[in-house]
Amino acid sequence: MASRTVPLHVLSGAERRQRREWRLLSTPLVVFLLLFLGFPTILDVVYSLSQVTFETLRTPTISGVENYGEVIADGAFWLASWFSLRFGLITAAAECLIGLFLAIFLSPLIAKRSALMAPLMLPLMVAPAMVGLMYRLVLHEFVGPVPYYLYALFGNSPTFLGADTAFWTLCVVETLQWTPFALLLFYTAYQAIPEEARQAAQLDGASKWQLLTLIDLPLMAPTIGVAVFIRFIDGFRVFDNVYTLVGSGPGGSTTSLSIYIYEAFFKQGAIGKAIAASILLFIGSLVVLMAIGWLSGRRTEASS
Amino acid sequence: MIRSLRWIVYVVAVLVLNFPVIVTLVTSLKSGGELSVNPGLWINQPTFDNYLSVLQVSDRLNIFGYLVNSLIASSIGALLAILLAFPAAYAIARGSFGRRLLLPAIVNLRAVPLIIFAIPIYMMFQWLGLLDTQLGLGIILTIVNLPLALVVLVNAIADLPIELDEAAKIDGAGTFQIMTVIIRPLVQPAIVTCAIFGFITAWNEFLFGLMLTTNHAVPVTVGASFFFAASGGGVQWGLASAVMIVGALPPAVLGLLMYRQISGSLTAGAVKG
Repeated sequence: MASRTVPLHVLSGAERRQRREWRLLSTPLVVFLLLFLGFPTILDVVYSLSQVTFETLRTPTISGVENYGEVIADGAFWLASWFSLRFGLITAAAECLIGLFLAIFLSPLIAKRSALMAPLMLPLMVAPAMVGLMYRLVLHEFVGPVPYYLYALFGNSPTFLGADTAFWTLCVVETLQWTPFALLLFYTAYQAIPEEARQAAQLDGASKWQLLTLIDLPLMAPTIGVAVFIRFIDGFRVFDNVYTLVGSGPGGSTTSLSIYIYEAFFKQGAIGKAIAASILLFIGSLVVLMAIGWLSGRRTEASS
Repeated sequence: MIRSLRWIVYVVAVLVLNFPVIVTLVTSLKSGGELSVNPGLWINQPTFDNYLSVLQVSDRLNIFGYLVNSLIASSIGALLAILLAFPAAYAIARGSFGRRLLLPAIVNLRAVPLIIFAIPIYMMFQWLGLLDTQLGLGIILTIVNLPLALVVLVNAIADLPIELDEAAKIDGAGTFQIMTVIIRPLVQPAIVTCAIFGFITAWNEFLFGLMLTTNHAVPVTVGASFFFAASGGGVQWGLASAVMIVGALPPAVLGLLMYRQISGSLTAGAVKG
């Protein structure tokens, strides 16, 4: 690490050889990434500025920012962005709240028998696409148990995948699958809280509620932040379970940004539009990532 | 009192979270006749007929083919990711080489919606002849697996005392030798965890399977959805359920067997990344 700050010409021959070896070890990974991510990204930028159809794939003509104009003027793009944003925020909040409750409430049970965690983690092992398909069965009018029991109990069952209801049904589907992820992170963080911290607070006469809000939750705050962020990102880019359960939904009501891009490319053949939309999404994610990096950098600076 | 309440909450949570899997399992064990009169969770006459029909390979819906495609592509995706990430992780952990640029770039990849790269990769694969091949799908699954593999391996190597390397160096071992002979066996558990977790992630991937395969390399997540495309007589729910159970079984079994290691790498990847 020290050698980084030393100008190259002062390095001894051995040090220089060592640096070359480190570089060599990273080379396969770097080449692989340049080839399969770097090159596609350049293609993305070029095609986003070009007029292109499936027939003229190899000979795009540069047409400036036309594609971007088309995307920005497309109401469906903004509806899809709104869907993704709302979906990401609602599911991240729901998953983390339920996960937090379960992690803390069940921790005395799980701490004694760690195998109890396995059935809770099972949803994380099932492909989201499969889960979407499974809910087609679960919610099916004639063969699904949920409508069946609702009819038996109340004589009525809502349409779960109608234009007004599909969004909320999808939120529930996503939340039920990924709550275990939040639960797992929070349980680990909760177990890592030193017992002395709690004992000291108890000696000072802290109530259980105070213990939770003044000791446990502040100590778990960094993990909670990370979990909310990861779940928001995954909710925002949702594709698999939405696509297999309802596709773009009645009247396009469940078009997430990922589904918007997919359909623009594969269903409408609007290559330029699809690519311009993905570049906008790319820029958006970079801005968010940089903001997060800047915020967490400031937080560590402030705390050190 | 509070203890039994905890148990009740636990059981309800397990049942609700796993509800779609339970319903699918139950449905897969019912005959078509029973399903039409009894969609509930109780099975009157359990039958394995649906599983037997899954095993009968048909030309149009080749479940065996989908399983083999998933197996090969996911294995490539898991192993290639480790092969690429391990030497780089060693350079990052020991030489700090790539700590400033390579590591953050790859870790942040976890947070970028991969659909951004899907279209240019589709075009590129078309030129390279990698569309609809197991290798092409495996390459993309490698990209999906790289962020977590790199973080887990960097952490595992950084946890080993540097004196190990220094002692070996004094004995005259080169960097490459130290990495393969000293370090690799010591981080074997982390490598196995990466392999298992990468395999599960790759098996469960859907978007790239949908975009990059059409016929020869269709993975089981995409293949299963074919059983839902109404073909004249509508969906055969029993059969479709059996297909989903078979397709979901490999990652579920691996995950349940290895849940401790996997929860470790999930939390490490999230918190340290």
